[in-house]
Amino acid sequence: MKWLFFLGVFLSLHAQNKQLLYGFNEVPQQLLLNPGGQVDFRGYVGIPLLSHIHLNAGITGFSAFDIFADDGRDFNQKLREVAYSMDSKDFVGFNQQLDVFSAGFSVNTSLEKKLFISFGMYQESDIFSYFPKDYAVLANEGNYNNLNRRFDFGQLSVSAEVLSVFHVGLNKKINSKWTLGIRGKVYSSIVQLSSTKNQGSFITVPTANNNLNHIFDLDMSLQTSGISFLSEPEVNDELGILKKRLLFGGNLGVGIDLGFTHQPAPEWTIDASLQDIGFINYSKDVKNYILDKYLAYDGIQAVFPEITSGLTAQDYWNEVSSDFDNLVEIDSTTISYTKWRPLKLNSSVSYNFGRKINKECNCLDKSDPTFQNRVGAHLFAMNRPNHLQWALTLFYFRKFYKNLQIKTTYTVDAFSFSNVGLGMSAALGPLQFYIMADNLLEYQNLAKSQSVSLQLGFNYIF
Amino acid sequence: MKTQSFFIKHISLLFVLGTCLSCIKDTDFEQDDALILYPTVELNLVNAQEPAASFVDSSGTELPFISDQVVFDVFNSGFSIDNLIKAELVFGITNSINKAFQIKVDFYDNADALQHTFSIDIDNSPSNTPLFTEHIEVFENMSLTALKSTHKLNITFTLISTPTSSVLTSGSEGSILFASKGVFYLKISS
Repeated sequence: MKWLFFLGVFLSLHAQNKQLLYGFNEVPQQLLLNPGGQVDFRGYVGIPLLSHIHLNAGITGFSAFDIFADDGRDFNQKLREVAYSMDSKDFVGFNQQLDVFSAGFSVNTSLEKKLFISFGMYQESDIFSYFPKDYAVLANEGNYNNLNRRFDFGQLSVSAEVLSVFHVGLNKKINSKWTLGIRGKVYSSIVQLSSTKNQGSFITVPTANNNLNHIFDLDMSLQTSGISFLSEPEVNDELGILKKRLLFGGNLGVGIDLGFTHQPAPEWTIDASLQDIGFINYSKDVKNYILDKYLAYDGIQAVFPEITSGLTAQDYWNEVSSDFDNLVEIDSTTISYTKWRPLKLNSSVSYNFGRKINKECNCLDKSDPTFQNRVGAHLFAMNRPNHLQWALTLFYFRKFYKNLQIKTTYTVDAFSFSNVGLGMSAALGPLQFYIMADNLLEYQNLAKSQSVSLQLGFNYIF
Repeated sequence: MKTQSFFIKHISLLFVLGTCLSCIKDTDFEQDDALILYPTVELNLVNAQEPAASFVDSSGTELPFISDQVVFDVFNSGFSIDNLIKAELVFGITNSINKAFQIKVDFYDNADALQHTFSIDIDNSPSNTPLFTEHIEVFENMSLTALKSTHKLNITFTLISTPTSSVLTSGSEGSILFASKGVFYLKISS
């Protein structure tokens, strides 16, 4: 149980903000964030399975330390304190991406007006859940001392998905000021489940004569695809089925990313992108569960057979008992459904400075004539089922040599106000390695961290 | 070039070490195996409302008692046996009949053996004003074990004659209102 909780704390982490990678022009995978990003190389091939490994996890409201701190206090007491300090707007999120393969090349060698084509396939997992506070309070306290309190069952909002994405992107430098990009995507969803449109409540109302009326009003649903085959007895090649789904065999969808980079002056860069404008239609292996019930229970009526020959308390009880059985009876359907992909917005404004100029003319000089420094601000926003998730970042980018670049970030978001990140890209010949991690201040004790993000990868650049 | 790769190597090393050596301190993930919840659930149980005339048979004679029983496997369910640590049955009786009552509640197990019993004395109301009586029966230890084997409940209203009460007829005034609820203290551990 505690490990489940630990996983909940650490792995069920946060968003998809890649503030370190965004605008990091030397790393080809930045084109996945902005298809209209600037491209400073002729082509690249990602090292298969190693070109982009991304893990991002976050939680609001508490950290693992709050619960597991070795302070001699009762574990359950700490758990209760944490649960009560959170509210239903708190959430946990986890996002993971793995590039299976990726490559890109420019079709026009003229640097000024080149068209860059990039393509690849990646696998992504995303889990997101709000904290259903009323459920926690009801489970912890029960309805006693909570008469007239409406427990909101609509607070349950959870979604999870594993999918693979095939993509082809075009990046076109129109002129010295504008670069535009578009990326087409085909999604193949392997497993998906979501329960985000719940409504309903439970309330206990005291009535006259010391009586209670218990009212259950439930309107809950869970949509799943890709899961129900696991419970079918004749299926024994689960792995084979999952592999097939990874390669276009899942529930399919399409989408696009759009982006641009604008340089009104050499020193200034404005860029923006919209990722995952698209949807997936879930029609294969679909199972939806629906619980749409109402029950008001105000006790068993005793009718004394000496007085009336009618329903006895036994008959009443049997009726009540079947009402309760009916209340928790879940209906299921296999109706297909369509879901929009979570839309992501990235945008930044930056100022470049510190151009390296050799005063002496040297035709053999291979030093980098571009700006060595960049400072800027970056905004990330993403639509979640019940709210807009956002992050604001200030960054400083520095080229140390032509093949060593470092970016440092300070990010403010729902998770913390003290998120400092560091990213680096280094090239040894054509082999590029990059690693980026945020929340560095928390690394001395990860248990206190509320979010962790890590990206790393290897590319062959030419 | 040499200094460059030296620099790159060291920066990379720093990064990799920084990522790998980041640690989790002052925590104890072995603190407790179980998540334990202590909810208290309040649930309406048996209700009844009878006018004075209900205690008179068709020939107009006062009945000695009335009773009803209900078989229900809630107290002896697996969930209750595993998680119920204390229970209180709260009875509220409002009497406006000029007749005293003794309300007896009997708890029987599967084999119809009496496991627990208690009774509540209700005063008569000479002026037919509602008189409220509350009784809380607490189930702990032995009585809790008895409750957890309960399969059937029997409720009996026995009419008691007192010097101030009257003999009931079909024209007698007032009614008796019987309400009961259970407060169940649970300990749910994973």
